[in-house]
Amino acid sequence: MKYVDEFRDPELGRVLAGEIVNLVEPGRHYKLMEVCGGHTHSIYKFGIDDLLPENVELVHGPGCPVCVIPMGRVDDGIALAHEPGVIFTCFGDMMRIPGSDGSLLDAKAEGADIRMVYSPLDSLRIAKENPDRQVVFFAIGFETTAPSTALTLKRARMEGVHNFSCMSNHVTIVPPLRALLDSPDMRLDGFVGPGHVSTVVGAQPFEFIPAEYEKPIVVAGFEPLDVLQAVEMILRQLAEGRCEVENQYKRVVPYEGNPRALEVLAEVFELRPHFEWRGLGFISQSGLKISEAYADFDAERRFSVPGVRVADPKACQCGEVLKGVIKPFECKVFGTACTPERPIGTCMVSSEGACAAYYNYGRFAREREVV
Amino acid sequence: MRVDAQQGMLCETDHESGHCITCSDEAIPLRVLRVDDERGLALCEDASGEHTTIEVALIGPVAPGDGLLAHAGTAIAPLPRSEVTA
Repeated sequence: MKYVDEFRDPELGRVLAGEIVNLVEPGRHYKLMEVCGGHTHSIYKFGIDDLLPENVELVHGPGCPVCVIPMGRVDDGIALAHEPGVIFTCFGDMMRIPGSDGSLLDAKAEGADIRMVYSPLDSLRIAKENPDRQVVFFAIGFETTAPSTALTLKRARMEGVHNFSCMSNHVTIVPPLRALLDSPDMRLDGFVGPGHVSTVVGAQPFEFIPAEYEKPIVVAGFEPLDVLQAVEMILRQLAEGRCEVENQYKRVVPYEGNPRALEVLAEVFELRPHFEWRGLGFISQSGLKISEAYADFDAERRFSVPGVRVADPKACQCGEVLKGVIKPFECKVFGTACTPERPIGTCMVSSEGACAAYYNYGRFAREREVV
Repeated sequence: MRVDAQQGMLCETDHESGHCITCSDEAIPLRVLRVDDERGLALCEDASGEHTTIEVALIGPVAPGDGLLAHAGTAIAPLPRSEVTA
């Protein structure tokens, strides 16, 4: 199939892997972060890690929107779902994220009307079909997903669907990257930049990384050759003493992003002063709340939301995994107390989560290495 | 060593591609089949032939045969036609 086959060509992959070997300095350790959970998934699925020299290490970033949801927001969502007359809607992965006293799936089993949707538009449709009920959409995601929520709210207003509201947990990608770069326990040599977030925001917002932190970043697609080429481009920058924003994914990502999407985001959302991230704590101006102009559709204003704050479970090391400080298998509970069937931490829930991806694709290789 | 685990992904929204289209940063390439200009919607087809309705307001006018990249029911970028030809 075109589009896919071209970017999975094993021969080209071997050529790129050879170029990567030629670019690395023996004795130097390279630590590159793939920001996006989609890249983490590709790396494990296609065994890209195994094509790299031993001194090139890929570490996972905070780019899985499910993984970064703190427990308190899950508890708030569950409280909302238990409100009389509410139909609570969310994406599938969100249902299994553990709160402090169970997940949304547990709340559903207890009788709350919680429904999985594939798009906020599905949620709006449910609201239209149930005019005597209040329908809440639990919105998560980076700038890739936020435009869909924004358009849905605009549509709700246009069509006068007043029994629809949204609890926004949308986050933005730049503040956590800055927080990681400021973190004293992080030593990174470069970034594989998020592909589809960048279709919306463009490559331009990442200019601060070379300008202020002197690190290269290459925005990349998700096919195996995309990721390999991005690694090659980062290593080439390092070898040539350059640090800049480069765009490997030019076939999809314009430098300036999608102006219409950015306009809609600015109309419907505004930045929260602070937002809590699982494992990373509170990060300034990293979350999106619904703007005053759309306050009527803000579930946090329509209902009384407890605003719960809960510390992450002690055994869980999702924070360190999200920061790339440890690998999933180095977590104390990985694969034992914490599995995709019974997750303790968020990283084990979503298929984009580093732990789930590693559990599904990489743990057998690791077991063989250990043996 | 690349090991292909047989158990597949456990994400409920997992499709043929092996990715979660709703919760991740990753969007999916689609081809436009029919356009409803009045409502800003397009009926689209993915690589496996599955049909889905997509909001297209953010990428401007589209026509049957065009490619687009969609996430959570909304098109976020146009794609060259060649990139979505099955």
